[in-house]
Amino acid sequence: MTRTRLAVAAAAALLFAAVPSILSAPARADDQDFALIERGRYVATTADCVACHSLPSGKPYAGGSALQTPFGTLVAPNITPDRGTGIGNWTEEDLRRTLREGIGRGGKRLYPAMPYPAYTRMTDDDIRALWAYLRTLEPVSNAVEANQLPFPFNIRLLMAGWNLLNFEPEPFKPDPQKSAEWNRGAYLVQALGHCGTCHTPKTMLGADDTGRALQGANLQAWYAPSITADKRQGIGGWTADQLVAYLKTGANHQSLASGPMAEEIQNSSSRMTDADLKAIAAYLLDRKPPGTQAQTATVAADDARMRTGGAVYTDTCMACHGGDGKGQTFLFPTLAGSGVVQADDPATLIRLVLDGSRAVATDDRPTGPAMPPLGWRLTDADVAAVVTYIRNSWSNAAPPVSADDVAKMRKTLAQVN
Amino acid sequence: MTPSDAPKTGQPSVFHTSRRRFLATTAMGLVALSASGASAKILFGTGLPWDSGSIEPPRQVLPGPWTFFTPREGEMVEAIAERLIPADDLSVSGKDAGCAVFIDRQLSGHYGTSDRLYMKGPFQPGLPTQGDQSDLTPVVKYRQGLKALDDHCRRTMGGKSFTDLSPEQKDQLLAAMEKDEVTFDGPVGAGSFFSLILQNTMEGFFADPIYGGNRDMVSWKMIGFPGTRYDYRDHVLKHNQKYTAPPVSIGGRGDWARKG
Repeated sequence: MTRTRLAVAAAAALLFAAVPSILSAPARADDQDFALIERGRYVATTADCVACHSLPSGKPYAGGSALQTPFGTLVAPNITPDRGTGIGNWTEEDLRRTLREGIGRGGKRLYPAMPYPAYTRMTDDDIRALWAYLRTLEPVSNAVEANQLPFPFNIRLLMAGWNLLNFEPEPFKPDPQKSAEWNRGAYLVQALGHCGTCHTPKTMLGADDTGRALQGANLQAWYAPSITADKRQGIGGWTADQLVAYLKTGANHQSLASGPMAEEIQNSSSRMTDADLKAIAAYLLDRKPPGTQAQTATVAADDARMRTGGAVYTDTCMACHGGDGKGQTFLFPTLAGSGVVQADDPATLIRLVLDGSRAVATDDRPTGPAMPPLGWRLTDADVAAVVTYIRNSWSNAAPPVSADDVAKMRKTLAQVN
Repeated sequence: MTPSDAPKTGQPSVFHTSRRRFLATTAMGLVALSASGASAKILFGTGLPWDSGSIEPPRQVLPGPWTFFTPREGEMVEAIAERLIPADDLSVSGKDAGCAVFIDRQLSGHYGTSDRLYMKGPFQPGLPTQGDQSDLTPVVKYRQGLKALDDHCRRTMGGKSFTDLSPEQKDQLLAAMEKDEVTFDGPVGAGSFFSLILQNTMEGFFADPIYGGNRDMVSWKMIGFPGTRYDYRDHVLKHNQKYTAPPVSIGGRGDWARKG
C-alpha cells in the first residue's frame, strides 16, 4: 500500500515538474508560423542546400567545403543567421534577389556555382518559406572565404558580363498542356532540385548548355549520366516506379547510387514526398529523348581488347556482376543495358573499376554495398580492356576506352584522394 | 529477511553478502556500460567507413636479394627445398617455385619475430597436440638450425657442407632429421627444425604467388586449384565436364593480355 502511494506521489511530482515547462514555452510569434517553417525546411531539403553549405563534420548550413571548378576554388558560405559571419543581417528581399538574380546583399555578385540559374525559377511562396526556415537555424560563427578564385576570375563584377551572356532571370513557366503533376515535376527538376547543375553539359563559359539539357555531364572526375528518356544512355528504359525507387531508396532493379548522387539521395530525394518523386518521374520520362542515332556495337567480339577484357571480367568482376552482366538486384548493379555503362563518357565506369565506391545507405535499403578498388590489381591496359568489354557485351554498345583514358583518370584520382 | 532472522553464528548471512556483492557488481556493470556507450559510434550511410584511395592492397613479393638470409643460408634453404619438392614430371622443384624466397620474406615479417603471438612465459614442453610451445622465434630457429645443420655436415660428412652432398646423401640426412635421429648443437632440435622447414616449404609451394612462392601458380596448375575465383554459377549444371579456366592469383593473372 505504502509503496503504491509513494509511486503515485512520485509520478504526480514528475508531472507537475513537467507541466510548467510546457506552459512556459515561448509563444510563437506571427513570423514564426510552424507550417511555413516546415515548408521551408522541405524546400531546403529538396534544393539540397546542406550539400554545399556544410562540411561533413561541421554544423549544418555553417559553410561548406571547397568546390573545385574549372576556373578555381569556391566555398559555399555560412547561411546560418549569424550576424558576423552568416546571413543574420539579411532581409527576405536579399535572399530573394540572391536566388532570383544571383546578386547578394549589398550588390555582391554570386558565381553560378551557386545554382541561381535554376533557383531563379523558384516561386515566391517557396522563397518566403525558405527564408522563414533559415531564420530558425542556430547562428554559427564561422567565417568562410567564399571567393578563392585566381585573378581575373576573382573579380565578382565579371559575373555581370557572364549573366548578360548566359543568364536570364525568369520565373517558372508551367506548361498548360500538361498535368499538374508533370508541371510540379518540371518545377522540381528545373528549379528546386537543380538536376541540370550536374546532369547538363556545360559551355566553355561554364553555363548550362540548354540545348543538351540533362544529357549527362562530367564534373569532379565523375560522369553524371544522361537522365533523358534515351533508352541506351539515359533512363528511358525505366518505369516511373523504378525511377521513384531509385530516388527514394538509392537502389532499383538495375542500379545503385554512389558518388555525388549517393549524397543527393541521402540528403535530399530520399526525404522528398512520394508525390513529388512521382512528379519528377512523370516529367523526366515524358521528355522527348534526344535524337542520337542508335549505336551499333563498335568493337567486334573477336577484337583483342574484347578477349582480354572478357578474361579480366571472368577473373575479376563476374563473381558479383554475373557472367550475364545482370548482377544481383539491390546489391550489385546490372551492367547489361545500363546507361552509365554505355555513356559516351566512360569516366564514372573507369573510376569505379580503379577506385571502387560505396553505394548509398537509406532507411529502406540500409546495406550500402561497396565495390572494392581494383586499380592496384589491373594495369591501365587491363582496365581499358575490361571497360571496353563491359560496354560492348550483352547487347551493350559504346565506343572503346583507351589505356590513356585510364592513365588520365588514375592521375586525377591521385589528386582528388 | 531481516538480520534477526539470520542464523545466530556470528557470521553475516550468505544471502546478505551475496546481495551486497550483486548490487555492487550491477553498479559497476552500469558504469562500464555507460562508459563504453559514450565512445560508441553509429555508422550509417555515408558515415560507413569508405576511404577511397586509402586502401592497402597486398604487395607482390618480387624476386631479388635475400632480406633475411645470409647468402649461405639462402643457398642451404634452396638446397633443402629442392630435395623436399624435387623437380619431376608434375612440377618444377621447390627451389624453382620460389619456396626459399617465400620463407625469406616471411622471416623478415611478423612471422619471423612472432610479433603476433603470445611470447611471454611460462614455456613448457606441452603435448604434441598443443603445437609449438617453444620460446624461440622462427628467426632464431632458422639461424641456429641452419648453422647446426652445416656444422653437423662438416663434422660427420668428411668436412663437406650440406650443399656439397649428393642428392642421395641429402635425402638420407633429411630423413634422419625427420626421425630426430640426428643430434644438433644448440637449442634447435633436428626433428623440430626439419618439420618447420618442411611446413614452410609446403606453404611456399601452395600459397598465393603474391607471397613469393608458387611461381606462375605452378602448384595450382598441378592440382587443378582455380585460385581466387569464387563464382561457379555458370558451371553448376555442367556435370562431368572439366573446369578449364586457368587459376587466378590475388594479384591477377599475368597473361590476361597475351592469352585472353
